[in-house]
Amino acid sequence: MAAKRTMTLNLTDAEMGALEELSEKKELSKTAILRQALRLYQMVDARIERGDKFFFEDETKAKAEVMVL
Amino acid sequence: MSSEVVQLQRRLDGVFVEAALLGGMVPNDFVLVGNEWSAERSVVMQELLQSTLPRQQWPQSLHWDWRRKAPELRLLEAAGFGIVCERQWQGVMLTKSASYVAKLAPDKGKPLVYVDFLEVAPWNWAIPEVGGSGRFRSVGSSLLWRAVEQSEEEGFRGRVGLHSLPQSEVFYERVFGMTPLNRDSAKQNLLYMELSADQAAKLLEKGK
Repeated sequence: MAAKRTMTLNLTDAEMGALEELSEKKELSKTAILRQALRLYQMVDARIERGDKFFFEDETKAKAEVMVL
Repeated sequence: MSSEVVQLQRRLDGVFVEAALLGGMVPNDFVLVGNEWSAERSVVMQELLQSTLPRQQWPQSLHWDWRRKAPELRLLEAAGFGIVCERQWQGVMLTKSASYVAKLAPDKGKPLVYVDFLEVAPWNWAIPEVGGSGRFRSVGSSLLWRAVEQSEEEGFRGRVGLHSLPQSEVFYERVFGMTPLNRDSAKQNLLYMELSADQAAKLLEKGK
């Protein structure tokens, strides 16, 4: 395992609520949820940087492009 | 780079030898693997071209090039593992830990470790038709075991998913008890297979 560093994170009640909800739903610790979020964000950002597009597809196969900041 | 000892069986005499299973591979390691294996791939390709073995039975990873997969290791979600024995890379695996989720109930939607690529060195391929008996056995299974362990370490309870090459489907199903789910048109129609948390628990209880 790589060495880890500690940071303090300030979240609003709504943000903490969402984090706790995801933590319960995915059966992961809050740290693991945030780690997953960072991995996903970096992956999406890297793919958009290289020219890929990011879509969501609904049940009718209709696609909506997701804008990522 | 992390390191642990694994046992590989030498096919020639059946003797088990110690090997190092390394984690935390960096992009340049994949370049080194690609360089080390490319000459042997060419040799196998030449032998296959001169043989009567139908193309469908050629190793289905024959065209892979780990040098092209090296940039993937810059992503946080990517992890590279390799087995070194007798100063050579005997097998390599690339896993992803964020872009895929479980499809199997009751854990549908929960994270898993996805095995993006797993390959053993060309000299470990057993192709009797061209005189290849394979140098070491159990390289691939040691790597897949590592994926299950990685899933445990990540808190994913051993869940693992992969798209299997047709030649490996039976191995993943019989040896690891993975569940075949569907042919995926987005992945060259490869069969998507998954190891659930329950299946992983049984596997880990049984031991290597």
